[in-house]
Formats: sequence, structure tokens, C-alpha cells
Amino acid sequence: MTVVPAQQSGGGGGSSGLYDVLELVLDRGLVIDAFVRVSLVGIEILKIDVRVVVASVDTYLRFAEACNRLDLEAGPRKDPGLPDIVGQVTESGARGKSKGALSGAAETISDAFQQGREGDGEGERETKSRPRARKSTSSRRKEEQE
Amino acid sequence: MSTYVYGITASSHPSLPEGMEGVGNPPLPLRVVKAGDLAAVVSDAPEDLRPKRRELLAHQNVLAEIGAAGAVLPMRFGSVAPGDDAAAQVLTERADHYKERLRALDGRVEYNVKANHVEEAVLHHVMAANPEIRALAESNRQAGGGSYDDKLRLGEMVAAAVKAQEAEDALALQRALEPAADAVSVGPESTGWLGNVSYLVERATAENFLAAVEQVRTDMPHLEVRLNGPLPPYSFVEPGPAEPAGTTAGGADAGAG
Repeated sequence: MTVVPAQQSGGGGGSSGLYDVLELVLDRGLVIDAFVRVSLVGIEILKIDVRVVVASVDTYLRFAEACNRLDLEAGPRKDPGLPDIVGQVTESGARGKSKGALSGAAETISDAFQQGREGDGEGERETKSRPRARKSTSSRRKEEQE
Repeated sequence: MSTYVYGITASSHPSLPEGMEGVGNPPLPLRVVKAGDLAAVVSDAPEDLRPKRRELLAHQNVLAEIGAAGAVLPMRFGSVAPGDDAAAQVLTERADHYKERLRALDGRVEYNVKANHVEEAVLHHVMAANPEIRALAESNRQAGGGSYDDKLRLGEMVAAAVKAQEAEDALALQRALEPAADAVSVGPESTGWLGNVSYLVERATAENFLAAVEQVRTDMPHLEVRLNGPLPPYSFVEPGPAEPAGTTAGGADAGAG
């Protein structure tokens, strides 16, 4: 399979870059009412799912926990300003771990695409979520919907 | 046999590369349906087409190839006409509209920019900027984490502050990139990103846009900025202030910029 020729993907790359493009393929583009659209049942669920807002008890608890762990030494008396902070974050190598709550939903969709590929052989439902070690709020919600 | 439609071009568009294939398993060969000044790039429609990763990629790859040779109006994934004749008929009926769009998009490509906060950085910022949150976090910490309700209260305050910061940074990001683009289309809101904005950019001056993105990455290091492009102009196939169909929010700023 050719993987997205004539394209340059800065920054993200990998599966997240691919997801970013596929989201456009699914959600934008010309629609002609005289044409039929293939059934996107599973994808519609994902789209609703991904728009679930941040506000949930799980998120609150997670944020509270994250703040509890945050090193506030620089905080109370001295506003460190963002650039400094990012410097610290990068130095401590925490950058990779720091996306948790904010991109959980996007990961869910990426997983769905991933599973779509894996399921190609047997024609399985590509949007079904499989059990995962770390579940985001949204993926759990999705299972409830199914 | 129904007809899967990938996109609409001028009939003068260079012919397809030899052996190009589209959706389906095995992939189906492409052909061109012409009607007057317009042409549709199509293939047979697979019987059981589903929105799988491979099919989405095939759709995107075909459009990327066509778009590299000249202006194309990309169809949304999964558009199926009853047959080639029906596809040609639509081209004829709406020829003026499609020709206008092809002219407007000629020489232009879409860049999609999505951004997230680096979570630790935004939490630090929110705490630093908000004494109330800081005080509550501190008292929770001294109480060994605090009660369930205390945690919930803290988390709710933090979530609200993070959300406000997201809106602020999304706006700053968009303002920084807008001047380098011809048009802007704001995508749906989601928890997956704080900003999801597509920019219509002239191919010839794309370097200016890319430079603007690099500048943003330097100026806003607390953002993780993901850039994808050049892409077929998925988000700009409809003229004017109308947001792309399916957009549920954030459309107020969409349209010509």
C-alpha cells in the first residue's frame, strides 16, 4: 500500500498524522445530494464520542491528581511563565507522558482506525473497542453505547 | 453497477497516471467520466464498502495524485452515484458552480493544523495564574490528597481554567496563521485537540505559511502543533461562510479570510 504520497507531514507524523488527515476525508469534502453515501454507522458513533466535552468526574479526578503531583516549588511566590516551564518539562523528559486527558479521545479514534486495518481480513467491525490497559473516559462511554 | 466518485476536475485535467487504483479489495481501477468542461474521477463502487482505514487512505491517495496535477474538488469519502451517467448528469446540471469552485481553488492547497496543550505545561500555567486553584491544591496536598469532594472541586476548577486557556491559545494560534492563508475553515471542536483549523494556501507561497507555523512552534512552546498538508482542499469545496457539512461548532469564523 502506498502511504499518502505527495504529502509532507510536519510535527505529528505516525498514526496521529494519519488520523488527522483521515478525519478530513471522512468529515469534509464535497457532498452531492443526488449521490448516496456509504453507511458510516460505526464512524458516526466515534464522531459523537470524540466530541464529548472534558467535563466529567474522571477528568476532574485526573486533573486533581496531576496537580497534586505537580512540583509547585516554582509556583506560589514566583510566576515561572510558560517558556520556563516548558523548558523544565522537556528536560525532565515528561513531554511524551503529558498528553493524557487532552488527547485521549483522539487516541480512541486512532485505535479504531488501527483496528479497522487489523480487521480487514475477516471483515470485522472496525470500530469495536478492544479491552485496553488504560481506558479513556470516552472509550468507556463508547462501550456503553454499543 | 454503481459508481464511486473521488473528485471533480476540469475535463482538460491531465489524464490519470497509468494503473492508478482506488477503493475496494482488491483495489478497483480508476476511470474518468467527462461531461462538457468537467470530469469526474471514478471507479466502480465496491459492494460492501466500509469506512476502513485502507479505504480512506485509497480515497485520499487518489485525490492527492489528481490534485498534484491540477485543481480538484474532493468528494467526501463514500460518495456513490447510481452510475456513470448519473455522475455525468450532475456535472452537467451544476457545471457553473463546480467550474467557479475549480477556478477559486486553482493553485491552492489545504493545510490542516491541529494543536494540543503539553499538559504539564498548561497545568503549571493554570496554577501559576490562579491563586485560588493553587491554594486548594496546596491544602489538598497537605491533607494527603484531600477528600473525594475536595479533589472533585479542585479538578473542576482546573478543568475550567484549562478550557479557558485552550480557547485563548486556539485564538492566538489562528490569528498567527491567518495572514499567511487565503481562507480559513474552522473544524469541529473536540476533546482531541484545542484547535482544528484548515487553511487554504497558494501552492506558490506555501513556504510563507510553513514559516508561520514554525514561528508559532517557537513562540508557543506549550502547544504541540500538528501540521498536515499539502492536501486536496477538502474544507473549501463550498464557497463563502458556510462551514463544512458536519461541523457542529466553531463555524462562526469560517469562510473567506
